[in-house]
Amino acid sequence: MDWASHFPAFVNPDATQTNLIGTRKLLKDVEVVDIGCGFGGLLVGLAGLLPETLMVGMEIRIAVLEYLNTRIQALRVQQQHQQQKTQQQQQQQQQSQSQPTSSTSTPAPTAEAADADTPTDAPVHPDPNASTALVPGGYQNISAIRSNTMKFFPNFFNKHQLSKIFICFPDPHFKARKHKARIISETLNAEYAYALRPGGLLYTITDVEEYHHWILRHFRDESAVEEAENEGPTVKELFERVSEEELEKDECVKVMKEATEEGKKVTRNKGNKYVAVFRRKEDPEWA
Amino acid sequence: MSAQFQHPLQCLRLVQRSTTNILIGSAGSKLYSYSAETGQRLAVWPADVASSETNPVDAESTPELGPPEKKRKVSSSEPQSIGKPAWSNIPIVTGTSNGEHIVALTAEDKCVRVFQLQEDGSFVQLSERAMPKRPSAITLTDDDNTILCGDKFGDVYSLPLIPGDKIPVVTKALRSAKLSHPAATNLTVHTKGNLRALEQQLRLASEGKRDEKSSGPTFEHKVLLGHVSLLTDMAYVSLPVDENKKRSYILTADRDEHIRVSRGPPQAHVIENYCLGHTSFISKLCVPQWAPQYLISGGGDNYLLVWNWAEGRILQKVSLVDEASEATEVAVQGIWATTLGDLRIILVALHGSSRLQCFTLESDGTLKTQASIQLSGNVLDLTPVEKDNTILVSVDSIRQPDSTQEWRASPASPSTLVEAFHVKTGSDSLEWEPTAASVTDKINSTGTEEVPATTEEKQRKELNDSLYGLGHLRKRKGEDE
Repeated sequence: MDWASHFPAFVNPDATQTNLIGTRKLLKDVEVVDIGCGFGGLLVGLAGLLPETLMVGMEIRIAVLEYLNTRIQALRVQQQHQQQKTQQQQQQQQQSQSQPTSSTSTPAPTAEAADADTPTDAPVHPDPNASTALVPGGYQNISAIRSNTMKFFPNFFNKHQLSKIFICFPDPHFKARKHKARIISETLNAEYAYALRPGGLLYTITDVEEYHHWILRHFRDESAVEEAENEGPTVKELFERVSEEELEKDECVKVMKEATEEGKKVTRNKGNKYVAVFRRKEDPEWA
Repeated sequence: MSAQFQHPLQCLRLVQRSTTNILIGSAGSKLYSYSAETGQRLAVWPADVASSETNPVDAESTPELGPPEKKRKVSSSEPQSIGKPAWSNIPIVTGTSNGEHIVALTAEDKCVRVFQLQEDGSFVQLSERAMPKRPSAITLTDDDNTILCGDKFGDVYSLPLIPGDKIPVVTKALRSAKLSHPAATNLTVHTKGNLRALEQQLRLASEGKRDEKSSGPTFEHKVLLGHVSLLTDMAYVSLPVDENKKRSYILTADRDEHIRVSRGPPQAHVIENYCLGHTSFISKLCVPQWAPQYLISGGGDNYLLVWNWAEGRILQKVSLVDEASEATEVAVQGIWATTLGDLRIILVALHGSSRLQCFTLESDGTLKTQASIQLSGNVLDLTPVEKDNTILVSVDSIRQPDSTQEWRASPASPSTLVEAFHVKTGSDSLEWEPTAASVTDKINSTGTEEVPATTEEKQRKELNDSLYGLGHLRKRKGEDE
């Protein structure tokens, strides 16, 4: 995995440090993953909140991914411009009066490639030259990759590498026949547990009540499952649900509810949002 | 009478028992047992109606017993003997370590069948359990009490070897949600597809109909773990922790390059590791019993990987093809481990290849290439006979050597079903010599079931596919990545 191309600002300056496929190493590992990141609302929302944490979105739709990468590039350029402007303003203030500088023209990333088949409900790309507030980290800490997460999640992350996994408004796959395609299942939860470090959090949000209960069942939340007798240990050993009080203090939950494109849509439609967050426990003792 | 082709032995396995050793093979739709000492055929399952009179099992056991009762028993336990069985082949045959039970999979009906192997070599079917999806790998736990069964949907189930009396707790409760009202509301519609699903649910609800849920198996079973991919092979391994404690693991491989290392039941949801390094599907996992810290894996790549699987570390990459032929696509048919004499031997056959590649496992865990063995037909399976320093190799006598499609012009008589090779002792490197064993002569001359040389093209293709299906695991361009 060539992470260096995704996070150029975090590449290890020592060029001799390379990974197995010969690409440059990073100064730190990716720690946060948004599974099914869509247009990237969550990543963009979290970027400034956790400026020193590398975060990656995983998305299976090529057009959506291309859109998101263009968006992130544009945001980075916009931030760089803004930073330069701010610096210039500061310099101008210091030098009392000098001639106004023409805005340095870094070309905006071409959005045409993605425009062709970008879904119509995608938010518009930011204008790199527009004035905006400075965001800590300048969006250098977020990126997105294309992957079939259900199949290839373990290929990207080492054991206990992640501190947070987000699953926001997953495809509900309403038909019972399609439930196998749901991104939450007991067998997939075992894979999430593998990548998540003890103490790490798995965030879920959905607007489908039935799916919310599905999630609780598949994490074996006590209140939702009438424990079958003599069933033996389950994935329940690996997760515990995080309390409501704790969630209220968690800024990430707020971003998840309000910054994601789906979240905004649900708000517009006056729908419900169901949040469940699970903490990765220590590995159980060997039976 | 002109010679006919014989169904080759798809699976071959030496079953070691306290008294006698028995060879078990599957060919076509049938299971066969042979005396490991003489090659004398002992029994066939399911028994032929026509040949049941001459079947040695019946001949021996009928005299003293009350004939009517016996007949009734036979007809009730062997309903398949009337007409053709519901399956065309038996792709998996395994057994308990004490040799008492044989576990076999019949292909089309997806049934896991457990047999008690009688002293006289006959098969008594104890249970048949139809799995929800086609099983692709079956193994047993160390204690011989539990069958682990992986299927093409990527799930691994555990089943008791001998089903208990208790009515199973139905495990489908988690997967199928009980809906008192439609899951979707018009507030939650995301896409056109969702909208259609919603409309359908509302329609069904208004008609008072419920989706006809396909209920799970009615026998006791448990989902241990799942891959989101076709599960291709599985191994159950125990590693010693200290003098009197050991830990068990399940190693599972799939079509998408993954080898997953999970804890053994009941903690299979705890993933200890992944062994990632293949770039194509994996078809075989081999953990030598005598060196359980090592794993040799192979599949659609033109190399094997040798692993320290507990650490997920690759120890060696071993090429399976000559540099000249590297363009051709290969698939690993089988990887077998055995100790013959003082040598720790790993044998590898490619899919549709008549060459058996031989390696020795060195003390540092690397494979050393040894001279290979040329067979008269494609290698299908093999079983070591360790006490004789011999391997028995089942070969395909229907297809041309090194072809999975082309049939031979005419059948040989007798067909070569099994070949035996003996390790020359007293040499540092591994050398083999063919043995003209009476066992193989007897098996070959007895034959299995005839395949007419006049078989139509369409049926030929079906027969080819039942033996040579690994090619389907390879992904075509654009299928997935």
